[in-house]
Amino acid sequence: MNIKINSRDPVYIQVIQYFKEQIATGVLEPGQEISSRRELANKLKINPNTAQRAYKEMEEQGLIFTEGNLPSRITKNEVIIKQVREELILEAVNTFIASVQSINVPLEEAIGLIKKNYEKNPGGQEGNQ
Amino acid sequence: MIEVKDITKKFGRKKVLDGVSFTANKGEITCLIGINGVGKTTILNAIMNLTPTNSGEILIDGEKIHRETYEKITFIPDAITMLPQMRITDAMQFMKDFYHSWNQNRADELISFFKLDPNDRISSLSKGNTAKVNMLLGLALDVDYLLMDEPFSGIDIFSREQIADVFTSHLVEGRGVIITTHEISDIEHLIDKAVLLNDGVVLREFNAEEVRENEGKSIIDVMREVYQA
Amino acid sequence: MKNFWKLTNFELNRFSKIYFILIGLTLAMQTIGIVLLSSSYMSDVEEQLALGSTLEWIKISVGTFSFSSVTSSYWFGGPIVISIVSLLIYVFFIWYRDWFGKNTFIYRLLMLPTARINVFFAKATTIFLMVFGLISLQLVFILMENELLKLMVSETFREDQSLNQIIFSFDYMGVLYPTSIIQFFINYGIGFMAVFVVFTGVLFERCFRLKGILFGILFAGVALFVFISPVLLQVTILEEFFYPNEIFILMVITGLMVTTGSIWMSHYLLNKKIRV
Repeated sequence: MNIKINSRDPVYIQVIQYFKEQIATGVLEPGQEISSRRELANKLKINPNTAQRAYKEMEEQGLIFTEGNLPSRITKNEVIIKQVREELILEAVNTFIASVQSINVPLEEAIGLIKKNYEKNPGGQEGNQ
Repeated sequence: MIEVKDITKKFGRKKVLDGVSFTANKGEITCLIGINGVGKTTILNAIMNLTPTNSGEILIDGEKIHRETYEKITFIPDAITMLPQMRITDAMQFMKDFYHSWNQNRADELISFFKLDPNDRISSLSKGNTAKVNMLLGLALDVDYLLMDEPFSGIDIFSREQIADVFTSHLVEGRGVIITTHEISDIEHLIDKAVLLNDGVVLREFNAEEVRENEGKSIIDVMREVYQA
Repeated sequence: MKNFWKLTNFELNRFSKIYFILIGLTLAMQTIGIVLLSSSYMSDVEEQLALGSTLEWIKISVGTFSFSSVTSSYWFGGPIVISIVSLLIYVFFIWYRDWFGKNTFIYRLLMLPTARINVFFAKATTIFLMVFGLISLQLVFILMENELLKLMVSETFREDQSLNQIIFSFDYMGVLYPTSIIQFFINYGIGFMAVFVVFTGVLFERCFRLKGILFGILFAGVALFVFISPVLLQVTILEEFFYPNEIFILMVITGLMVTTGSIWMSHYLLNKKIRV
């Protein structure tokens, strides 16, 4: 798990964000078992109560599900997975737009630059950040 | 819950604590933050009835401390509380002799977790290992509350990481922890609640995650605001 | 109660090293003393024999040899004085060692799930057992040393003494071995009462530090005053009003008052005022 927790955003939101990215990129597959909240807390060096809260929130959002006493799993619901992906893309695009708009870059120029530079970024194809 | 209610304490004419109040819940990690000499250790000593206070009240689960309370709350001071000539195994035997809440299985687990040799004499241990033994003696008690005074200060980075790991493990789970520190960065993401102290008063008591969510601030941001105001 | 015995056992173990050294020292010095003194006596005797003196004449001029010749020497009394001084120092040190040094064992002692007064009683009991241990071992040593003496000095010049006679011939050390049971209770009763009072004084100092020294001395002064108050009354206001055995009973009562007061005060200090 390589996730850098920053100290200004709520930790549980950062954890959820991390899971969303893993789901969207397919690193976490539908139905895959995930670590217990304690294991997660231990791996990320975060408070177990926070990990608990992130899991609860994800459960409510339908990102993960738990049957009885078994470990939690990633949702198998294709619709949700699709939504997560779209949400992340939209978020990234919005961030991008906000940045280029703030320095008055016309749309055509921006698109041109995207096309030119997208292939150059070696890590980009893997889907990781 | 540990309730500290308006305690004051004077050393001679100097007020070390001047109306300190805060609470610490079971199942949460509460961190007392402040520079050295601000009264953090005195507060922990007062909770454990190791030093008298001039006024105010301290309740543990609604009761004043009495001898049985030491079976459900324990304190890990910044120096080891066993005789230097004892071996680790003697120290564990001592604890076992006196505390019903001593959990030998957990002690053994901690020995291997910290990679300690039970036959080592306490006087021969490195600073980091001494701190670990000190932690072990407190953590192996099945108590509801754990107080720790500066568990990260003055020890090497690897020991620090090992000790930090304790906080995310089952060893602390479900218990109420009060920890003091003058250096928050090691444990910023581990704590539930922060109590900022200065000159014997509580400047602010807040839930770390709430402040991040509602104000978009890190604990250090809040400290900057509070201490530099 | 179980915790009290565990604590006592623990405290005994903590002092055992020094304690065994004291025992060893006593035995060694007294043995050496007997060997040196008796051989020097025997060489005097042999010198006289060589000169052709009669046995009767030697007994008069050199004197006979008895265990009392040994007990009055430094070889015998020295280690006893060293032991007494060590134990007297330890009456203080048994507390201070928990606060001083790198370790802070007092934290542990005060956080034990047991009444804190048990720590006080355990330390007091340790001192008492150490004292009784030493004085009874000394008796055993005297018996052994007496046998050694018989090997060293021939019967002709020896004046054999029983244990009773040996003890009776002690002067300043007689206080350690009272010859009546009442005297025994008086000597050791006063001694142990003093240990309790000193303990309370130490606790005053530990609670209030510099100011506490004053409180401690004051407490000891009041304790002494209360204890000897029957005698003070007798010699001042009431002029020979009490019979000796009435004075005795009154002093038993004031002694018990001082002891209880001391324990009660220590209990209060340990629970309400102590600091690490």
